[in-house]
Amino acid sequence: MANLTSEQVKELADNILKMTNDLGDFRYRNFSKLTPQENTRLKELHNNLLEHTTELYTKSAVLVLDDAVESLDKIKIITEKTQELYSNLDNIQTGINWATKILGMASAILSLNTESIAASIKSIIS
Amino acid sequence: MKTLKTFLFTTSTMSLLMGCVNLGHVTNFSKNSIEALQTYGNLSQSFTTICTQDCELKHISNFNVYKTDCECEGNVKADSITTAIYTATVEYLHGLMAVSDKTITKFQTAELTNALATGNYGPIKLNAEDVTSYSKLSSLILKAYSGIRSRKKIKAYVTEGHEPFQHLLHFLEFNLSQNLNGKLEVQKNGIQNFYFDLVQDTNLSSYERTKFAEDYFEKKATIEKYQNELRLFGDLINEVKEGHSLLLKNLDQLTEDEVKGSLGKTAQKLALGARIISQFN
Repeated sequence: MANLTSEQVKELADNILKMTNDLGDFRYRNFSKLTPQENTRLKELHNNLLEHTTELYTKSAVLVLDDAVESLDKIKIITEKTQELYSNLDNIQTGINWATKILGMASAILSLNTESIAASIKSIIS
Repeated sequence: MKTLKTFLFTTSTMSLLMGCVNLGHVTNFSKNSIEALQTYGNLSQSFTTICTQDCELKHISNFNVYKTDCECEGNVKADSITTAIYTATVEYLHGLMAVSDKTITKFQTAELTNALATGNYGPIKLNAEDVTSYSKLSSLILKAYSGIRSRKKIKAYVTEGHEPFQHLLHFLEFNLSQNLNGKLEVQKNGIQNFYFDLVQDTNLSSYERTKFAEDYFEKKATIEKYQNELRLFGDLINEVKEGHSLLLKNLDQLTEDEVKGSLGKTAQKLALGARIISQFN
């Protein structure tokens, strides 16, 4: 995978923010059904994703990498899949597992290690 | 009649050659663009302030007031880059103002002229393309400083400066309207995540829960005000970009009324926008 440009890092941040918002909405919507442990876990994941996202916007402002159109397209697919998943989700554990995977991807993106990014995307898409 | 025409033709040709053409509208556009961009200094938020606020919210949610250091180095760097880009664009406009105004005999060199000359931009790292734009603009500004008495330079100045100027304005707009605004959007969501559980907590009194809800809406409104401020600043940057494109397109007809009128309108919009941003705080 080629490197990312500043504008692409920003686009990734926008997409991860959308996924993060969906996770937040999922928690707010299902608050009455969640066990305290589930609520705490989802809240933590939400917070972690928000921290990663804000850091990505900063990275976009300072870092400029090469093109990675292919990966951006894949991120778009993941975003759509996430939005669909949260709107039709009955199983809380599936939601937690998915959010954990997205968090892993966000961590990989923050590391700017292109191999880790590719591996994390592959594990979500496959 | 023929004599009058010849006289008028000769006078205008001589004026052009001697650089005595009235380019007050270009000077005015430059001046208003500078004033508009200078509202950068009035913006309520920066990468570093948002980082600090987010970090403080984290400490608050962990009930922690001990060892409350915040790691915001990356954000300090983002602010440095943005400020360096902003400075270069304003310096360029000072140069444009000087080459268009025959009454300016001494150029007010800004503090960062030295930085522009030496390439010492502080703790910033730009990619190759940005560095090219930055250094192109820097040498152009420095050339304007040294050749300030030559009023015929405006055509070369605008033509040479257009591309790097547009590129840097794009970068400035991108960092503020996109990245900084994105950070505010994240902050808004973080606040909702923080307050949600407090408002839902039935162990608290209705009064406490209501107060938390009020706090949430107040903080959300403040963030949205900052976002509007950034949006308006982004609009001003785009006005400057368009105004400069108009200038480039009409370099051979700068004294025509239509060009004067269009640049005048842009200058008015910039002045109005700058006033609104100044009144935000």
